[in-house]
Amino acid sequence: MARQIPHTDVLITLMGAPHASDQVLTALRLTQSLLERGATVQVWTCGYATMLTQRGLGSDKPRNLADWNREYPSTAALVEELLTAWEGRLYWYGCRFCSDDRGAVDHLPQVVLRPPAGYAANVAAADKTLHLGVI
Amino acid sequence: MDGRVLAIIERGYRGALEKQFFDELYLATELHRQLGGLDILLRGSAVGYAVDAGPVPAVRLGNRTVDTLTDPRAGLKTLLAAGVGVLVEEPDIATLGAARPLVEGVRLTAAGETAARWIDYRMVVFL
Repeated sequence: MARQIPHTDVLITLMGAPHASDQVLTALRLTQSLLERGATVQVWTCGYATMLTQRGLGSDKPRNLADWNREYPSTAALVEELLTAWEGRLYWYGCRFCSDDRGAVDHLPQVVLRPPAGYAANVAAADKTLHLGVI
Repeated sequence: MDGRVLAIIERGYRGALEKQFFDELYLATELHRQLGGLDILLRGSAVGYAVDAGPVPAVRLGNRTVDTLTDPRAGLKTLLAAGVGVLVEEPDIATLGAARPLVEGVRLTAAGETAARWIDYRMVVFL
């Protein structure tokens, strides 16, 4: 049976790759702002954006040689923080094809990988869909 | 190794959240150390790095405050302190129209002026 996608006010489709522009920061700030205003949100990642939630990233980035004891959170840790803080109001999906195609096979447990053909169901489950970036 | 290296940065703002400290200016610090002397030319959107703006704001995500976003001005100041020459192309900074001054130590260069000096460098790279 096909997965039921919970209804949300907004679907943010993040197509843009990390480490290329500030789109990831924009997407996460927008997600936080919408949630703070009472909205429900789902995020769908495509392309290299699927790599944001890999468990292999750990909780922190590699150490900064110029500031050895400072901690810098990984993107996986920050997405997990969002999903924990906004449990039941934020959902995170990733394109399975894009993820597999990039060798990203081990994600946060809250991340739901979906087939590309299932994307329309996510769009249908949201009142408004926003696209950020290109694959 | 004789001669300095010119590193050209044309595209700025490549992921403040995912890169944090590990941006192209951090890489430049290491290249300066390994290659024996670096000059940096800022062009395009990267000229914004040279504007002496205020501190980088923190961002709230979930219940967490992230105060480690990329700080290109701090990166430039580290490079300047290490002896790296930092140049910014005048037409691009003029187009930006920033009201604030440049980071102290950054030098303006006319369009094409640095390109005419490529021959003086041992190596020219794009970062």
